[in-house]
Amino acid sequence: MSSPAPESTPVVVRASDVSKRFVIRKDKSLKERVVNFGRSNKHKDDFWALRDVSLEISAGSTVGLVGANGSGKSTLLKVIGGIIQPDTGIVQRRGRLAALLELGAGFHPDLTGRENVFLNGAILGLSRKQTEQYFDSIVEFSEIGDFIDTQVKFYSSGMYVRLAFAIAVHVDPDLLLVDEVLAVGDEPFQEKCMAKIREFQKEGRTIVFVSHSSAQIEDLCDRVVVLSHGEAIFDGGTVDGLEALRESFGR
Amino acid sequence: MTDQATERAQRLATLPFESSGPTSVRSVGGFVSAVREIFGQKELLDLLIRRELKSRYKDSSLGFVWSLIRPLTMLLIYYVFIGQVLGAARGVPDFAIFVYAGLTLWGLYSEIVTAGTSSIITNAGLIKKVYLPREIFPLASVGSALFNFAIQMGILLLATIALGQFPLSWDLLYVPVAVIIVIIYGTALALLLSALNVYLRDVQYLVEVAILLFFWASPIVYSWSFVVNATVQRGASWLGELYLLNPISISMIAFDRGIWKAGSEQRVIEGNVIPAQPWPEHMDIRLVITAIVGLVFVVIAQRIFARLQGNFAQEI
Ligand SMILES: Nc1ncnc2c1ncn2[C@@H]1O[C@H](COP(=O)(O)OP(=O)(O)OP(=O)(O)O)[C@@H](O)[C@H]1O
Ligand SMILES: [Mg+2]
Repeated sequence: MSSPAPESTPVVVRASDVSKRFVIRKDKSLKERVVNFGRSNKHKDDFWALRDVSLEISAGSTVGLVGANGSGKSTLLKVIGGIIQPDTGIVQRRGRLAALLELGAGFHPDLTGRENVFLNGAILGLSRKQTEQYFDSIVEFSEIGDFIDTQVKFYSSGMYVRLAFAIAVHVDPDLLLVDEVLAVGDEPFQEKCMAKIREFQKEGRTIVFVSHSSAQIEDLCDRVVVLSHGEAIFDGGTVDGLEALRESFGR
Repeated sequence: MTDQATERAQRLATLPFESSGPTSVRSVGGFVSAVREIFGQKELLDLLIRRELKSRYKDSSLGFVWSLIRPLTMLLIYYVFIGQVLGAARGVPDFAIFVYAGLTLWGLYSEIVTAGTSSIITNAGLIKKVYLPREIFPLASVGSALFNFAIQMGILLLATIALGQFPLSWDLLYVPVAVIIVIIYGTALALLLSALNVYLRDVQYLVEVAILLFFWASPIVYSWSFVVNATVQRGASWLGELYLLNPISISMIAFDRGIWKAGSEQRVIEGNVIPAQPWPEHMDIRLVITAIVGLVFVVIAQRIFARLQGNFAQEI
């Protein structure tokens, strides 16, 4: 085999035959369930958001995850992040993970930005001391200034993402999952994030990046995975990947 | 590749994989590893408890005072209406201490169960975005309920001292035992119900009603001797046994026995002799069994929780 020596590029994420099925129940309340009891199967719609996806991501690579709306990109990221469990298959992962999933990190709306920084630090496994060390540079990077002591429910969506991104990149993650969050940042901030991501690449961190911007994908990624209706239909180089993406839209 | 990158790669190569996939319900080993995982997140638990306490009264100007006003108002209501107007105080010595003790322990239980039940839903923002051992949310509810309980317990003890009724005897040991049993059952229910509530929101409302109902199934505003009179003397002692099967009832009795000195003594109220409470037989054994059954219940509840939590993020 001509694969590179294992100690130079260890695998960070390994997904084997991962499938995820969503059951959409239209009836949430007890009454509706009782009323529809006999016909309950008719009231369930299920479909596979992911179908037998297998994927290995080695350390230091930047993978672009692309596909049409509803093709399962966010679902795959959540499965990789352990936020939802696959129905079949298994996901293995190692190293510290930071995830920026669909509009924002895990913030608590009633808490101030400051408190959320500490909350997220604790979630990512930092001690209070460690978070304190990072705190000033997080605030500086996010450029939200005095708003750090405002409850995050009063943040604009851009400010929200700024803080979320700032936290995620300051906690020294080995693996960073980014799902389209940068789109709401203004241009200077997007530039800043791109620069940070490039720095991350140099430091050998692994990034999985979901975006609808072909330019960003082309710019950052060294590998592209195309999803279509829950299946990984392409896995390879960036240019070919974007081509495959365009073809997949028609389906 | 930069040095930093090589170093990182080398470190990663030595790390073991963590895997996520469908969980099995039956493994008790899963319980142990879940407990270990939660202990690894003590710092986070601490933060979540403080968050819960803080956000509860965050936008109110009296803040924490509210957590005292509620139980004191309840005390007033029960003391005046049940105790004086309906006359329960004539059969229960030191009625104020008795009622406040009952309300304190009941408050712990009902707060654990109600706040615990909705804990997953209220933390939806976090659950949808980050991976955590999710048991942490109901446990944070337990923690914040305990904090409120500690304050009220402090008031209760001060009150017993002020009224010269401090229960200085070995029976005082019943107090921690009762509290532990309440925590055990509260935790089990919080785990179970919070998970079910994600799938069926009616659980939350059902719990509110059940809490109202079960309030009367424990000796909080009436005393244990009242139950004995109503059952044994009418030849229905099995009903009394049934009553004691409720873990909260037996804990409540134990709590009263520990903290409510007048209950273990003969007192005279308005010329009537009130004998000491006929504490249940084999009370210690009953408490031990109740606690053990409760622990089994916690394990079962956690296993069910673990099974259901896989789909939390997509259901809320
Ligand atoms: N919690 C959920 N319950 C039911 N169905 C869901 C849930 N989350 C996602 N889906 C469905 O799974 C499919 C894939 O969704 P996903 O969010 O992964 O798409 P996506 O590729 O991220 O799309 P987009 O480009 O619009 O972000 C969609 O059809 C969506 O409706
Ligand atoms: Mg998406």
